[in-house]
Parts: sequence; structure tokens; C-alpha cells
Amino acid sequence: MSMEIKKEIYDFFAKFVYDKTGIFYPEKDYYRLDSRITTLMGHFQCETPDELFNLYVTKRNKDMEVVLIDLCTNNETYFFRDNKPFDALTKTIIPQKVAQNGYVNLWSAASSTGQEVLSIVMGLLENNPGFDLSKVKITATDISQRALKKANSFTYSSLDVQRGLPAMLLVKYFDQLPDGQWQFKSEFSKHLRYETLNLLTDNFKPNFYDVICCRNVLIYQNKENKQMIMQKLFDSIRSDGFLLMGSGESLIGTDITLTQSSVDGAMFFVKENQTWKKAA
Amino acid sequence: MKFLIVDDSNAIALMVSEMLKEMGYTSDRAVDGNDAVKKLEADNSFDFILLDWNMPNMSGIEFLKYNYENHLTETPIIMMTTENKPENIREALMFGASEYIMKPFTKDIIESKISMLNQFKKVA
Ligand SMILES: C[S@@+](CC[C@H](N)C(=O)[O-])C[C@H]1O[C@@H](n2cnc3c(N)ncnc32)[C@H](O)[C@@H]1O
Ligand SMILES: [Mg+2]
Repeated sequence: MSMEIKKEIYDFFAKFVYDKTGIFYPEKDYYRLDSRITTLMGHFQCETPDELFNLYVTKRNKDMEVVLIDLCTNNETYFFRDNKPFDALTKTIIPQKVAQNGYVNLWSAASSTGQEVLSIVMGLLENNPGFDLSKVKITATDISQRALKKANSFTYSSLDVQRGLPAMLLVKYFDQLPDGQWQFKSEFSKHLRYETLNLLTDNFKPNFYDVICCRNVLIYQNKENKQMIMQKLFDSIRSDGFLLMGSGESLIGTDITLTQSSVDGAMFFVKENQTWKKAA
Repeated sequence: MKFLIVDDSNAIALMVSEMLKEMGYTSDRAVDGNDAVKKLEADNSFDFILLDWNMPNMSGIEFLKYNYENHLTETPIIMMTTENKPENIREALMFGASEYIMKPFTKDIIESKISMLNQFKKVA
């Protein structure tokens, strides 16, 4: 289909997405909006980009925002992504914190369809026989309603459950549904709920989390927004708390002072306790 | 790395060997469990075995049970089959399969399973 999209329309959608999510489409990448605009046209039954543009300008509602955000976020994730951080979290960091404080507040800050959270749950149970899951208070959030809906269904396709997930864990922690999909067993998911949170525009709980996973999401942010989100994350971590980012992600470009620390071969950022630092 | 593909379907064996080739691996092929036994008796230097379930003469699960009793090979075996019930997976794992791929699958799933098994090898 040949379709003429005016620059004004690209500008509008690029700005819309940027304002809502921080995800930035520079002019040279405007072509990457084409398929998204086409999908939106289908969704809202518009014949032309102009008609869609008109609809967004004149009759904007929540649904139009939700659909556009779903289209512009990349929800790519899989079980035990990068592996080592999950070992470190579930063998060392979380059990130690539970032993010290009796519980852990953990936040998966861009949880997408939930594989990251479920990997932590399975890791805890595998590495600490008889582990009491109620001691780990998990907050799991994302901006994409499509991702959240799937996460909250705890249901995955046969392809999803073969990416990063050992078959042994599949049969242990999932039930097969009549349609062939796989659902995380409710005995392990009953404490879990995924919620909406926009890292760019929402406030975070101050001084609350012992562990924050914020992986493979800030890569889509520009320098200013990354700095701003990192500052909010910093304020949200408790003293001696851990921040886990994606492999290859760093604090570079921000002025955040977290200490790099390797745990079981995985890289974390730690908010060092000031008094402890002085004593050492 | 060298794979032994055990599958009675020419089409699937060809597709899998092409996928492996794209990943930079070589492969040999056996048409059923019996053939796999013969191939492994002659050459036990494979890095992985990809094993179909439904085959004439000796099925995949029969091959696993045979190997379980006769210690034919220590090479990690990955089931690759349309059988996708939890009972199937449990049975295969119980008789020594290291991993399980459900058809239909994609190349990145083979890659994911292989890298998982290679990690365990490094630990051991
Ligand atoms: C590539 S996934 C990463 C999932 C998981 N953390 C991982 O590493 O496998 C990125 C997720 O970030 C979410 N996201 C993007 N921008 C966001 C924002 N401003 N606030 C919250 N979530 C956002 C997307 O919806 C998507 O689900
Ligand atoms: Mg067959």
C-alpha cells in the first residue's frame, strides 16, 4: 500500500509518543512510525493518515493513548535473560536480605510480560528449598497495557516457554491449558500482580526498595530523561539496596553515585550505606 | 559443534540441519532410533543429539530407554517433537533427555536450549 504521511502527522505522533513515554523518534527514524500509523488506522477504522490525525487531534481519549503506547513499546523479554543476575539475586542477595531484615521489597520496573518476575520466583524456590515467597514483596510494573494484560494472565505460548526456560522448570511450575498454552501455577503466582507505572511521568516510592530491576528500558530514553529517571530510582532504593540494569547498561551520562559491585559474577549497582562507608 | 539429528521426516531433518548450518554447526542424520544406535556405535563424538519422538522401528522414547539401560552415549539429548504434554516432557527427562523442544519451534529456540546446556557443561 502506498500511503502519503505528511510531516505534520509524523511530528504529531513522534511528539505524542515522546511526551507520554520518553521514547524518541528522531526525524530520520520517522519511517519506523509508518507501520504503527497503519496499524492505528486499522484499529480506529480510518481510511487515511489524515483521518487518523484528525481523530487524535479532535477526539482524543484514553484508549487512543493506550493503543499507541502498546504499539510503540518493545516488549521483548524472556526467561532468565542473561542468567547470572538471577543466580546472584536468588542465591545470594535476596536470601541474605531476608535473613537480615525478615523480608525484601523488590521492584521489577519494566516487567513487560512478566518473564523477569517469574524467573526470580522460580530461582528463589529452586535455590532455597522451602523458601517462603511471602517474604519477598514484589512490585511489578510496566507502561504497556498489552504487556500487563498478558503478565497478569500468567499465560504463555509454547514459543515463550521455550525461550530461556529449562524444560524441567516448565513442567514443575506451569500447567498446560487445554489450548496448549502454559500458565504459571497459581500457588506460585497468588502474591503477584502487575500494575501500570510510567517511569517517565509517575512518582516512585521513596526509600523503599531493597532491589530494583530496571532492565532494557532506559536504553530508549535520551540523556535528560535517563538522568531524571535514574535520580528517582536512586531515591527509591534503600541504603544497601541493589539496582540491576540490563547487560551493557550503565550509569554513564548520569551523575548518580551508586557503587558498581559484582555478585556471583553479575554486575549490580549498590547504594552504599554512608556510615558503613566511613567506618570501612 | 556437531549434531546428530534423529528424525524420520526428511523435511524436518533438512530444515533443522539448515538451521544448524546457519548457526555455524555441522550435523549428521539418523532416520530412526535403530539408525541412531548404529551411528553412535560407529562414532560417539557428537556434541548434541536432537531426537524426534514418533519414528518407526525405534521411537525417540524407546531410544532414550535403550540408552538409559545400555549407556550408549553421554552426549546431551534434546527431544524435538510435536508431543507436548507435560507427561511426555517428564518421561523424556526421566529417561535422560537434557532438554525438550516442542514443535513448531524457531531457530532462536534451538539456540536458547543449546546455550542453556552449554552453561551447565561449564559449571560441571
Ligand atoms: C524490552 S522490555 C524489557 C523487559 C524486561 N525488563 C527484560 O529486561 O527482559 C522494555 C519494557 O519497558 C516498557 N517501557 C517502555 N517505556 C516505559 C516507560 N516510560 N515507563 C514504564 N515502562 C516502559 C515497555 O512497555 C517494555 O515492556
Ligand atoms: Mg517423526
